[in-house]
Amino acid sequence: MYEFLKYEVRDAMTADPIAIGPNARLREVEEIFENHDFNGVPVVDDQRHLLGILTKFDLLKAFSLDAHALAPHYDTIMEQPAEAVMTRDPVSVEPRLPLSRLLQKLVEMRTKSLPVVENGLLIGIVARQDVLKALRRATIQHEIPLHQDSPS
Amino acid sequence: MTTLLYTHPACLEHDTGFGHPESPARLTAILNALRAAPFAALEWRDAPQATAEQLTRIHPPAYVERIFARVPRQGHFALDGDTILSPQSGEAALRAAGAVCAAVDTVLRREASNAFCAIRPPGHHAEPNQAMGFCLFGNAAIGAAHARAVHGLKRVAIIDFDVHHGNGTQAAVERDPGYLYISTHQAYIYPGTGHRGERGIGNIINIPLLAGSGSTDLRHVWRHEIEPALREFKPQLILISAGFDAHHMDPLAELNFSEDDYAWLTRRILEVAADHCAGQVVSILEGGYNLSALAASVAAHVKALMEAPARDHIP
Repeated sequence: MYEFLKYEVRDAMTADPIAIGPNARLREVEEIFENHDFNGVPVVDDQRHLLGILTKFDLLKAFSLDAHALAPHYDTIMEQPAEAVMTRDPVSVEPRLPLSRLLQKLVEMRTKSLPVVENGLLIGIVARQDVLKALRRATIQHEIPLHQDSPS
Repeated sequence: MTTLLYTHPACLEHDTGFGHPESPARLTAILNALRAAPFAALEWRDAPQATAEQLTRIHPPAYVERIFARVPRQGHFALDGDTILSPQSGEAALRAAGAVCAAVDTVLRREASNAFCAIRPPGHHAEPNQAMGFCLFGNAAIGAAHARAVHGLKRVAIIDFDVHHGNGTQAAVERDPGYLYISTHQAYIYPGTGHRGERGIGNIINIPLLAGSGSTDLRHVWRHEIEPALREFKPQLILISAGFDAHHMDPLAELNFSEDDYAWLTRRILEVAADHCAGQVVSILEGGYNLSALAASVAAHVKALMEAPARDHIP
């Protein structure tokens, strides 16, 4: 585990992640979820400033019952822009944050992934799986088994 | 005395399009359930067409004309995202409103104790000037106005236990002290109305229930709100806007009523009716979108109507 403590977010994150603009239709977002194993996709402006994050949860929420229609309309909802349902001002992390701290954040927030931001610009995304992978990598290479049976 | 069942084949021809939850299959499921042996004593009657006079007690003539003008010769016409017309929709809507008026006539003439109108399209979302929420004409309000105008009743109560608020019925009766409208519904879902503060001229009682509410909550609001208000009003006729989408298996809401709850509530309403208006009750189908839950709930409701207690007095 000591090796893991040296890791930073930038060591584990996916750099230059797929992102969408605020006007992307939910239909396109759904297609991204179909084709990739993402739980959420960052929403950015032209300069890649992070505006929000749109998760599968946000998409589900768009279909929950409300006062607008007796039954939610798939096509109408899927034509909405990302900015209508995204989570604004999302929690983000810096690339130099220790990965152990990120792990703590993911657990506390029960969230699946967080965007990585440097100077307001989106540079990566880091997910539960990335941390699990980093944990395995750190320990496979360096951990000494606790009870080593040595021949006498 | 008998329980009447008003329906009409045209109500099966109102086609809302592929996959629409307010489908003809709802009525088929209900009618199949009511053909079973325990319902042999039900007296089936064909619903007549509502007259222009009956419709225009609630809706402006121009509104009625507008609806019929939009009925398509073929295919569908969407009045809004929820509310769809097909070639037979006009006829079905006439039979639906007509069923309620005929049931009111028959029950008030004492030819039957009570009646259930197995009809569609439903009506309680249709405002005097606005079709919406699967509804074209306000069947319950039209029946209530008919009872007032033709039979000279002074006080008609409408109890609406559909899971959605009956904005249309409320809009039609909220300025007239001759009506009492009581609605239980799930808060915060369609159509967004039905807050407790909406009281009309003191003749509207809205009881929004939070998602997850069930039998216990229903019994609580009956004892503390519905029954006292109903008895104080001393209705001469009780209409029921009987939607069954507060059932725990319904896909369009999150209340948790059961078939037994519907039977229980029906019996309670009938007891009040027996005390105040010789048991005169006309029940009108509104929503309910899980076919088996709908059929079982209607069966429980109609069974309770058929087992109505004897009339205590004739006012």
